[in-house]
Amino acid sequence: MSVFYSLTLIALAGLALLLLEAFDSKRALRYARDASLGLCLFVALRLLTGNLNCSSEALPSWVSPWLSFDPLAQTFVVLGLVSTALVLALLRIGESYIRQYTLGGSMSEFYAIPMIMAAAIGFMAAARDLVTVFVALELVTVSFYVLVSMARKSALCLEAGVKYLILGAMSTGVLVFGMAWIYGVCGTLEFSGIASALADPQIAKAPALLACGLMIAALGFKVAAAPFHVWVPDVYQGAPLPISAFLSVGSKAAGFVVLCRLLEGFLGAGSVVAAEVRQLLVILGGLTVLLGALPALHQSSVKRLLGFSSVSHAGFMILGLSSVAPGVTGTGLASFYLATYLPMTVLAFTVLTVMRAHEVGDDLSEIRGLSKRSPMLAFCLTVSMACLAGLPLSVGFLGKWLVLLGLAQAGQLAALVIALIAAACGFYYYFRPIVAAYSSSEEPRKAIEVSIPAAVLLVLLCAVVLVLGLYPAPLNGLLQLTGAPAAAALLR
Amino acid sequence: MPVLLFYLFAALVVGFALAVVLARNPVTSALCLAVSFVGLAALFLSLDAYFIGTLQVLVYAGAVMVLFLFIIMLMDVKAEESSARSRGAQAAGFALAVLLLIEVVSISSALKRSGDTLGQHPISAPLAAKLRQQSGRPLLKGLEADLAKGELPDAKLMGEALFGRHVFHLQLVGLLLVVATVGVVALSRKDGGSLSS
Repeated sequence: MSVFYSLTLIALAGLALLLLEAFDSKRALRYARDASLGLCLFVALRLLTGNLNCSSEALPSWVSPWLSFDPLAQTFVVLGLVSTALVLALLRIGESYIRQYTLGGSMSEFYAIPMIMAAAIGFMAAARDLVTVFVALELVTVSFYVLVSMARKSALCLEAGVKYLILGAMSTGVLVFGMAWIYGVCGTLEFSGIASALADPQIAKAPALLACGLMIAALGFKVAAAPFHVWVPDVYQGAPLPISAFLSVGSKAAGFVVLCRLLEGFLGAGSVVAAEVRQLLVILGGLTVLLGALPALHQSSVKRLLGFSSVSHAGFMILGLSSVAPGVTGTGLASFYLATYLPMTVLAFTVLTVMRAHEVGDDLSEIRGLSKRSPMLAFCLTVSMACLAGLPLSVGFLGKWLVLLGLAQAGQLAALVIALIAAACGFYYYFRPIVAAYSSSEEPRKAIEVSIPAAVLLVLLCAVVLVLGLYPAPLNGLLQLTGAPAAAALLR
Repeated sequence: MPVLLFYLFAALVVGFALAVVLARNPVTSALCLAVSFVGLAALFLSLDAYFIGTLQVLVYAGAVMVLFLFIIMLMDVKAEESSARSRGAQAAGFALAVLLLIEVVSISSALKRSGDTLGQHPISAPLAAKLRQQSGRPLLKGLEADLAKGELPDAKLMGEALFGRHVFHLQLVGLLLVVATVGVVALSRKDGGSLSS
């Protein structure tokens, strides 16, 4: 079976889940939701083991001009599917609390829409031109508008929904404006065409730079890069926890795969704008790590903290994209970072979701004494926070180390210092929840019983994070990833 | 199209677009947007894009604007309070907009121009037919007849592009509309009532 049909099947499964709601059979619905989670994992597993046909011959003729499932696309298809499956699992764990905030206690949209988004992320990862990117990106963004504001009975959630909608619509406008300029400058919307057009020294440089700037600004919104990150803390805090987790991994994966492909064109061999765009990336990345880390220092809500952490990590990925280290491509480094960021941040959100399902909020004062109430949750929180901070021998350390190494080799000393400061700040703000969890609280509180599915998910994520920290070899292949047309041609 | 008419309609589009942003009353804004769309439709017509020009009037100035007005009046949005905005934010926004405007204008004015006018490059139906045959794409029956007659079948061409070449994108947009519809229904229904009851 080809990847394209598998992704289509997942989107259709999402639609089927919506239709099932009409029959009002609670039991069938429950099985169907579990089955859809299984389907996502199954397709991801088949793709990882190379059992899905990724060649362009396997695509139907009406799709083949627009999609090509090269190794970069396959990586992000897997990332999209895995993050969708994890979000569906989180929704199951947090269902009891989310239900209180949705209209009529309805949950069906929460399960159906992420399935459609998984397919859209997959199509976006495989897109060969900006038209496909735009349509798939809008599908993902519009779905997020709905998901963020679904828990409508909470005032914070409504605020998050409105903020995300208005800023998202504006960034879409900037994206289309940028695409228009790209078409005007390059005469094409295909990624390979953009690369070859920009390599032509005759090309008008100023309009090309404006186009690059607009595109990077619009995609910067999607991946939460400063100064387009102001929506992040409020939206992360207001949205239901599983959706915040999806925003921090799904939305980032979607934005970064497009950014990777575009930047391969902008920074490609002989590109007239390469030097300026690289400088812009270093400035943007430096600003993002700093503006993510500094406000995080005095957050008392762990949800907001994870929001700022997501900004800071986006900054590291952008710095990685600008890197020119030998043997490691910028695209590869960003993909590697994202693949390591996914399990650790979802682990943190899982802990918060389990706590929230037991009516424990995400404020530091409520986390106090967590080790007494549930040693397992406290341990998992410690693991995820230590990894997010980038403790040596943890999976988060490798990504940060490679980015810093790349910056040092490229001679970007200012950015290197800023990244080091941000990483050092991380050790302070990520360890505050850990300290809170292991300090004793004044009043005795009742123990938290972790349900079996939640425990399984926690153990699984912990194991992945710990094993990858000690033995990262399975991810090494990602470091050489490239979305260049040459690699795509070899594949064909 | 005479140059004078171009400037007239361009001024209409820009002027009323500015009025959309500057007007305090939402109904005034919506009506100004409608006038701006009509000017845009005229510009499309001047580019020989008759079909898009017609659509612009029918769909945007007609249907979409009526929907806008309907919603504004339904929700009874009052004129904006003038004191609600902070002066600093207003100034910063204005400065940013001016900066972008200067950038776009200076870059566009530096672009190389050929000096030709559209009148020197009339659309040739026989040439279009020949080019399409060379590209190897099969012609729709109606298209062939129209091109032979020397007419530009722009509605048919657009339909062909939409349902032939871009059919994948059309499917994705269909999915997007489903999600949007589901979201609107799910977010706007009354609390407590389930859909089945």
